[in-house]
Amino acid sequence: MVNYKLFTLAAVSLLLGLGACKPSYESPEFSKGEIDPTRFVMIGGIHTSGYMDDALYREGQENSLPALIAQQLSLVGGGAFYQPLVAEGSVGISFSGLSKMMLGYKTDCKGETSLSPVRVAGNGDASIWNDNTYNPSALFGNYGVPGLLMAYVSSPAYSNQNNYYKRMASSSTGSVLDDALATNLTFFSLFLGVDEVLKYAKSGAKDSTLLTAQEFEVLYAPIVSQMIANGAKGILATIPDVSKMPYFTTIPYNGLTLDAPNATTLNSVYNALGFSFQVGANPFMMIDPNANSFAVRQMLPGECLLLSVPLDSVKCNQMGVLFPLRNEFVLTNPELEFMRTRIQEYNTVIRSLATQHNLAVVDVDAFVSNLSDGFVYNGVSMSAKFVSGGAYSLDGVQFNPRGNALLANKFIQAINKQYHARIPELNAGAYNAILFP
Amino acid sequence: MAKKTLLLILFIPLFQVANAQGFQVNFQGQKQQGMGCAGSANYTDGSSLFYNPGAVAFSNENSVNVASTPVFANVLYVDSATGAGYRTNSPVGTPFSAYGLFQLKKDAALKFGLAVYTPFGSTVQYEDNWIGRFALTRLKLMAIFIQPTFSYRFTEKLGMGAGFVFSTGEVNLQKDIPVQDSLGNFAHAELSGKAMGFGYNIGISYKATDALTLGLTYRSQVNMAVNTGQATFTVPSSLTASFPNGTFSSSLPLPAVATFAVAYTFSKKWKAVLDVNYVGWKAYDTLAFDYANNTASLIDTKSARMYKNIMAFRGGVEHKIMDNLDVRLGGGYGFSPVQNGYVTPETPDKNRAYFTAGLSYRIGAHFSFDASVYYTQIKRTDKNLETNLNGTFTTKAIAPGFSFIYTW
Repeated sequence: MVNYKLFTLAAVSLLLGLGACKPSYESPEFSKGEIDPTRFVMIGGIHTSGYMDDALYREGQENSLPALIAQQLSLVGGGAFYQPLVAEGSVGISFSGLSKMMLGYKTDCKGETSLSPVRVAGNGDASIWNDNTYNPSALFGNYGVPGLLMAYVSSPAYSNQNNYYKRMASSSTGSVLDDALATNLTFFSLFLGVDEVLKYAKSGAKDSTLLTAQEFEVLYAPIVSQMIANGAKGILATIPDVSKMPYFTTIPYNGLTLDAPNATTLNSVYNALGFSFQVGANPFMMIDPNANSFAVRQMLPGECLLLSVPLDSVKCNQMGVLFPLRNEFVLTNPELEFMRTRIQEYNTVIRSLATQHNLAVVDVDAFVSNLSDGFVYNGVSMSAKFVSGGAYSLDGVQFNPRGNALLANKFIQAINKQYHARIPELNAGAYNAILFP
Repeated sequence: MAKKTLLLILFIPLFQVANAQGFQVNFQGQKQQGMGCAGSANYTDGSSLFYNPGAVAFSNENSVNVASTPVFANVLYVDSATGAGYRTNSPVGTPFSAYGLFQLKKDAALKFGLAVYTPFGSTVQYEDNWIGRFALTRLKLMAIFIQPTFSYRFTEKLGMGAGFVFSTGEVNLQKDIPVQDSLGNFAHAELSGKAMGFGYNIGISYKATDALTLGLTYRSQVNMAVNTGQATFTVPSSLTASFPNGTFSSSLPLPAVATFAVAYTFSKKWKAVLDVNYVGWKAYDTLAFDYANNTASLIDTKSARMYKNIMAFRGGVEHKIMDNLDVRLGGGYGFSPVQNGYVTPETPDKNRAYFTAGLSYRIGAHFSFDASVYYTQIKRTDKNLETNLNGTFTTKAIAPGFSFIYTW
C-alpha cells in the first residue's frame, strides 16, 4: 500500500513540475553598429511632423515617423527625444484651419448615409499655431514641418511664413536648419522634397511647377553637408511617387456610372463634340485647353481624379459630366509623367549624395509602391486602398500610426544594413490604423 | 487504492499551463509509448486494437484498458524582426484511450474489440496581443475515433484484423482581424463546428519464429468534414454587414499511416521492437474555409499547407526486472511534413527526435498498471509565405501517461 502512496505522490509532483517545462527566452543582442544614436534629429515635411487625418494633433505626433525611429534607437543607446507636442485632447489643426478627421457617417446629396471621413469639430484648434513650444532645455528631435519646401529649409524668419514652424521655432529670425543644427545632433535623417511634390500634385498641377534636378541638388546638397559637418552619420529618404497614394487613386477616371436614359441624354449633348457614352462605367468629362476647340475631353486611363473634388457636385450636380472637371481636380497623363520623371531625378540626386558621404538611404518610393501593390505583414494585408488599406490616414496622403511604424521599419532596416547595426524593428501590427465606429 | 488513483486523475484538469503541439498524437498505448511509441508487430494489450488489429488475434483474454497521457507542451515564438518573444499558454492536451477486448471462449480464433481513442487533437493558445494574432490566437482540434474491430487467428502464426473507424470531433479556430473599433480594440473571428469522418484500420501479425514477429498495418485517411460550422465575428458596429455571422464549411484530412513493424524476443527478460511509419500527410495541401455569406470583406479562403508524406522510425526495449515489473526505454525520429515557407503557429513542427521510458506493474492475476513518459524539444525557424510571419518557434513537450488494465 505504501508503495502506491509513494508512487501517487511522485506522479503528482512530477506533473506539477511539468508545467514549468518551458523554452527559455533570451532577448537577442541589439547593437548601434557604427552610429552614435545619442541625439537623433530628423528634418522633413508633413510626413515627418506626425500630421495625419489632415491635421497636426497629439496622437499623430506621438506616432510620428521620427518618434517611432527614436523609440527603437533608444534600445541601442538613443537619448531622450522631444517633439513640439500639441496638447492632449486637442482636435488638431489642418493647413486650412480645420480639425482632424475621423471615420463617421455622412449623408450625401442623394440622402444616402455611409461611412466617410468627417471632421471631429467645427473648427481646428488655433492655439496650436499661436503657442510656441520651443524649450531650450528639451531641444526637438522632430524637425518635420508641414509644408516645408526645399527652398525654405535654411530660410531665416521662416516662422513668418509657416504657422507650423512658428510654433516650434527658437526665434522669429531662425531657420529650420539652424534650429536642427543647434541640437548638436549625432545621428540624423532627411526626408525632404515630398512637400514639394505634394504641392504640385494636390493642386492638380494647376499653377505650380517643380524644381529641376539641378535646382533640387543645389538646395539639398548643402543641407547634407551641414548635417554631417560634425561627423554625424545619417539616413536620407527617397521621395515617393505620391500619385500612388489614396488621395489620387480612390476615384477611378471612369467612375461615371450611367443608366440608359442618362447615357442617351449625354449622347444627345456630347455626340456632336465627338464624345459618346454608354450604359455602365464612363470616363468623367474634364476641361483641357489643348484638347479641342471646346476645351473639353474625357479622362484617360491612368489619369488621377483628386479626392479634393466636391463629391456631392459630382453625384448630384453634373460635375464631371455636363460641367467638366476643372484642372485643379485632375492630374493628367503629361502632368503625371513630368512629375514622375522629376521624382526619379531627385531620387538619383539623393542616392548619389548618400553614396558620396557614406550615408544610408531608405527607399520610401519603393515602400509607397509596394503598398500600392499590396503586401502581407505578419498576417495583416496592407494596401494603398483608402480607409481599408491599413497604412494611410483619412487624408489619403499621410500615413496612420501603423503606416508610420511600417515605414520606420524600412528606415531601421536601411540603418542596420549601412551601419552594421542591430536595431530591432517595431511590431507595426500593434499600432492603430483607422478606427471604425 | 482506488481512492488514490482517483486523486491523480482529478489533478489533471487543474494543470491549465501547457498545451499539445502539432496535431497528430501518437499516444495510444502505454507499453508502446515506453518503447518509443513502437510495438505494432505483436500483441501487447488492448491498445493493439489501435496499433495492429491483426496482432489482437494472438490475445487470449478479455480485457478493459483505460489510459490517458496529459501533454505538457510549451511554445516560444521569437520574432526575427523585433526580437520579441511570445508564448503559448494553452490548456493541457489530454489524449485518452479506452479499449475493450473480448473472446467468446478461451482460445477462440475470433476476437472482438472496441477501441476509443484520440489520435489527433490539441489546443494551441497564444498569449494575448502576440505578434501573430492575425494568423491565429487559438486552435482547438479534437478528434475521437471509435473503432469496433474483429480479429481472426488464421493459423498459429498468422493473425489478421480489421476495424471500422467512426470519427467525431470538433474544431474551434480563433484569430484577430486587423480592424479596430473606436477604442482601438481589434476585431475577432471565431470559427467553430463539429466534424465527422469515417475510415478503417487493418493489420496483419505474423509470427515468423518463436522469437520474431512481423507486423503490417494500415490506418486509412479520415476526412474530418465540418459542414455547418458557425462563424462568429466581433467587429465594430459599422462593419457588421461586412462580417456577417453565419455558417461555414471546411474539412481537414487526418492522414493515412502505413506501418511495418518488427518485434524480437531475445530472452525471457529482454524484448525489442521497431516500427517504421509512412504517413500520408500529402493529403493536407490546403486549409479552406467556405463561408455561406460572402461579402467584399469576407471571402472564402484557401491557405496552402503543402504538407509532404513523411517517414518516422520508432524503437525501444523492454526488460523484465521482476515477475511483476517491466521497464522500458525507447525513442524515435520523425520527419516533419511541414515544408519551409509553410510553418504556421498551429503546428510549428520540425523533424524531431524524442525519448521515452515506461514501466508496467502487475498486481495479482487480473490487474496491471502501466506508465510512460515522453520528451521532445524542437526548434523551427521559418518565414511563412502566406502571412510573412518570420521567426523561430521552440517547443518543449513532456507527456507522462498511465493506464489501468483489468483482464480476465
